[in-house]
This record gives sequence, C-alpha cells and structure tokens, in this order.
Amino acid sequence: MPSQPPLPPLLAPYLSSQPESSLTLISSILGATSNWLVLRLLYSALSTSTNQTFGLDEHDGSKKKVVLVSFLRGWEFWKVEAKRLGLDLARLADKKQFAFVDGLSELFSAPQSANAAPTTSSPTGIPPRTSLPLRGPPGPVPGRGPAIAPAISASTSSVARGPATSEPGIAKKLHFSGRGTAALDIMEKDIIAVIEQVKASGDSSEEVLLIIDQPDFLLAATGTSMGIGATEMSEWVTGLQLNVGATVLTLAADSPLIHNASVSGNQGATPVEGEHASFAIGLAHRARSVMQLRTLETGAARDVSGVLRISRGGGISSGADTLDEKELLYYIQRDGGVKVFGRGES
Amino acid sequence: MAPVNLSHRRTHNLLLISKLLSLRDTASPLTLLLDSLEQPASPLIQEYIRRAKLSKVHVTLIAFETLKCPEGCDAFVSTRRKSPADIIKEVSAAYQPSPSTGPSKRRLIIIDAINPLLSSRGSDLSFHLPSFLGAFITPTNPAASKSDASLVVTYHQDVPGIPPQNPYLPSTFSILTYLATSIITLHSFSHILAQKAARDRSLVPPVFGLEEEQDGVLLGRLDKLGGTGATEGIVLELEHRRKSGRGVLEWYLLPPASRYPATQVKEIVTLLDDNILYNPPMESYGDDEEEPQSTFELGLTDRQRRDREGVVLPYFDAQHGDGPGEGGRILYDMGEEDDFDEEEDEI
Repeated sequence: MPSQPPLPPLLAPYLSSQPESSLTLISSILGATSNWLVLRLLYSALSTSTNQTFGLDEHDGSKKKVVLVSFLRGWEFWKVEAKRLGLDLARLADKKQFAFVDGLSELFSAPQSANAAPTTSSPTGIPPRTSLPLRGPPGPVPGRGPAIAPAISASTSSVARGPATSEPGIAKKLHFSGRGTAALDIMEKDIIAVIEQVKASGDSSEEVLLIIDQPDFLLAATGTSMGIGATEMSEWVTGLQLNVGATVLTLAADSPLIHNASVSGNQGATPVEGEHASFAIGLAHRARSVMQLRTLETGAARDVSGVLRISRGGGISSGADTLDEKELLYYIQRDGGVKVFGRGES
Repeated sequence: MAPVNLSHRRTHNLLLISKLLSLRDTASPLTLLLDSLEQPASPLIQEYIRRAKLSKVHVTLIAFETLKCPEGCDAFVSTRRKSPADIIKEVSAAYQPSPSTGPSKRRLIIIDAINPLLSSRGSDLSFHLPSFLGAFITPTNPAASKSDASLVVTYHQDVPGIPPQNPYLPSTFSILTYLATSIITLHSFSHILAQKAARDRSLVPPVFGLEEEQDGVLLGRLDKLGGTGATEGIVLELEHRRKSGRGVLEWYLLPPASRYPATQVKEIVTLLDDNILYNPPMESYGDDEEEPQSTFELGLTDRQRRDREGVVLPYFDAQHGDGPGEGGRILYDMGEEDDFDEEEDEI
C-alpha cells in the first residue's frame, strides 16, 4: 500500500483552522483512539512543509505554537509517534515553538516509568481508570512498594530519571497536591507558566494552540471525594482557554461513561460515570466542533479502522463561522500512515 | 387540552410568542430554555439579543460557558470562581438606571447554562435557587428605580445532574420548571420531520445523538440537507403559564438567522402546523382523478345543488299519515326555467 501523506487531504481544513478562543472536542472510544488525530493536529499546526504534502497552500504563513498537556501518554510516546510523521518535537521544543506538559509520570508525586503507557497500542481511559482511584491521595500508600521497585530498576532505560526539569523536551511535570479547586489551581498555574514561556519566545503574534489530552483521567482519578467534579474541571478548562488562542481537548466517550448516567438510565450510575458524562456533554455544549471517533457499527473490517464524525458543537456561533458536518472512515496502516475517505470510496 | 381552531391559535399564539421573545409587558419574568446537544439554544439566544437590540433593551449575559461577549450584549459577567452572591452583586452593578436618562430601560438577563451552578452548589446548603434567580428579577436594593427585568435561563437537558443530597427535596430541575413562567423546549426541525414521518407510518420514531446510546456517539446531527435550507430552523415547544393559571401549549418554528435581515421587525416565527413541510396541504387533485372523463357535465352548480336539496321527496309526504291512499305525492315547485305543459303536468 502506498504511504499516505501525513495530513489526509479530507481532514486538512478541519485540522488547520481553529478560530480564536474556540474549543474543539475529540471524543474517542476504546476501540478507536484519538492519538493519530492529535498527531495530525500537531503536524498541521507545527509543520512547515504542509503545502508540499497535498499541493494546496492551506498554510497562510502564520505557524502556530503548540502546548500539549498529556495525561495518559508520556513524552516518549509523542516524540516517537511524531517522528514517524516527520515532525521533530524535541527540536521544536528547543525552539520554544512546542512545549510538552507531562501530566502522566509524576501527577500523583510518584516516580513511575513514563514509558509504560506508550507501549500499549490502545491507551484509552479504561485500564488506568480502574486502577488509579485505588492509588488515593498523594503520600505513602500501602501497596505502592512493589510497584516502585521495578520502576527504579528500569531507570537505566531511555527515559531519564531524577529532577523533572532536567529531562529534555518536557517543559513541566504536573503534580497533584492538595484537594479540590486548590489542587487544580496549582496545575493551572503550572500550565499557564509554560504557555507564557512559549508565548514570549520568538514571534509573539503567533497564537498558541493548547491541546489537552484526556483530562478526563484527572477527573476519574480524583473524583468528588477529592473535591473535584465536572464543574470544577470545566472551570479549570475555561481558565486555560482564557490564556490561549484555541483549545483542543480529547475525551473518552465510551458507552458506560456517557450513557449509564444519562437522563433515561440514571439509576445506579456511579459517581465516575455521572461526573464524566456531565463533563463530556458539558464540553460538547461549549465546543465549536466535536470530532467523534468510533468503530464501525457493523463490526471489524480489514480496511477500515473506524469512523470519524465531525459535527458542530453547541458553542458554534451561528454567524459567519461555518463548519461542514461530515462523516468519514479512516484506516490506520501498519506503518502508521492514515488514510481518510468517505463511505463507499476507498 | 381541547383542540383549538387553527386560525384562533394563529392570531393568539403568534402574538404570545412575539410578546415573549420581544420581552414586551414582562410577559414572562423567568423563561427556561431546555436545549440539548441536538439543538443548542444559541440561535434562540441570538434571536433574543437581536430583538432586545431593536427595542433598546439592556442585555446582560451571565456566562457559565461562554468565553467572549457575543455581539449585541451590553454587559458580560463571567462567573468563574465566583459565589452566587458575588454574581448577583456584579449583575446588579452592571446596569445602573440613572434618573437623568429618563424612564428606566427594560433589561434582559441571560444565563447561558445553569447546569454548572446547579451541580456545584448542590451540596452547598446555603445556596437557594429560587432566591438566587429572584434576586435578578427584583433587585434587593429598593432605592434603584424599578426596572423591568426578564431572565432567560438555559438548561442543558442532556447533562446529567447530581442526585439531590436530601432525598426528600425535589431535584433542582423540578424546582426550575416549577419557577419558570415559560418553558421553551428546543428541537431540531429535521428531527421533528423525521419523527413525524415515522409516526405517520406508525413506525417507532427515530432517536438522535445521545439517545441512540451508540458507543462513541455524542452528537447525531449531520446536515445531510445542508445548503438546501429546506429543513433548517428550530422548533420551539412553548409552555406558557399565564397569570390566571391557564397554560398555553404551542409549537413554533423559528427560521435560521440567515433568512431575514437583522433589523426585521415583523414577526418571523410561525406556527409549526402552518409549515408546509410539517403539515403538507391536502392534495386536492385526488378528487378530480375520480370523476369519469366525458363530454357531459356531471357536476352540479351551487344553484342546482340548492334546488335539489329543496325537493321534498315523496316519502316525507307519505309520513303525514293522512290516511291510506294519501301521501307519497311528488311535490314540485315550478322553477322559472320550467316550461308548463297543460297536458303533461296536470296534477
């Protein structure tokens, strides 16, 4: 199969234009993860060679700066995957055009192997969600001991240990301390500091694109017992949105997380289900566009990985801003290239 | 509710929606907009703002999810990290009717989404929703001259709320619907049409978006008919509670904003039943098809029909019971076109 252009032509208009102060929501499910879409988004914002790839000069010369906050995938994962697209994130990070905020490795102040998550091919929320609430508040937790030992022994691996700031490429590691909005405020301050750093360097007129990867993990891992609910998380997102040009957010939209707490089937929904549904649907109401990834309803297919539906969210201003709604199929090839096509096409 | 004559509804209910949307006579102090992802309330809010601008009403937006002040609103109150009391204070400070500017202006206060407030303060016992909403409509400061304020509150129906802390208290949503003087539920016109088409065939009406309960689907809306403009528009299901206690239920259609200029004063909302797509006109050509084609005129003119109805048939006469042999006569009144013949028409 021929190699695909890094940016599928059908998707290019949706990935390259995020108007000022807009919110784009990418929802994924376990069988259809959003990594590839986020990578295409990074490519579209950061790459200089966009116009070579599909002939059209979509780039108007104003490259964007990107701050990526990732809660479920480590730096190593993003670096390696972006390289496959021809995007050198480490070099861009040195040029302060890109900044990576690590919300995974030390979120709960526990040294943990950062390359644990990237090795799995479908790291959506489900496995951490079941294991992490058990981790509890920061501090010594019984049962942690065995987990640390292999992590330390793995320190000889490519991921550098030690002080967080010395790691190349990672602008900041988020720590969750305290509870409730105070804890979120600390993280917000950390992220805004990174955004300001990126803003200050180079051409300050370039707008900053903020990508928050799976913040629902934070909600699931803390929950109402720690004073964090859907409302607090939404306010946290709002606070970040106020500091950047456009925001892209990825969320899990698996059926149990959305529908168990829905109005029709409200009985017996767990707090996580309720808060997650409320957070995700609330964000969809605020979003300009919602990109929904899901698997084929008819089952697995050899040449289709999933369905991407692009819809207008509740927050689109119905004036001049227009967005064509579309439903496309995509296929992720073995080499990581992605083919995007309409139904009935190939 | 008894079916009301369509023309009666057309006059009264169109006047009502016009009054409600233009905030005339403070017909509804608290309007509740129930929206969903399938049909967000933002076009209706823009319509409210547009009409408010036309009649020079002061617009305040209390933003729980909006980042930027939309075009046309005069005051923008962000609610991030603010207590309800602070919000009330800021909103009343946003508009100070000065006596010098003449009569106090009317005021429109929009809350773009009340869900965050309900779900975060739900645990806070000191928060009292009726008094919070009431504070906007009747300012606590009596010194301020009475300004007619209308409150428009949006509630996202599909965002699950938190269960009430006290199981014996009604849910916040019930309280909201109880307090509201008008409730407008928004529907997407294309969905309404699809559901009606299914009902007309006695099929199960389709559901869209979240209600599909499909893995990974948040939004079902796809504008397949985009561009044709045929099914654009919003269906408003209005429930208005009059002061007398009588309720009015009506379905309206609000066309998309691109169909009319921003300065249009004439009413643009129509009854849903008047829409040609929702309620197609009865096909009249069906009657013509049934008549056999011939050179004779088989129909009747109005006058002929009248005359025919005037004929007293023999069995009516026979029922007088004048005795055997009597009755059953054919009674015929001569028309002017009848030619009297002595021999034949002898009675």
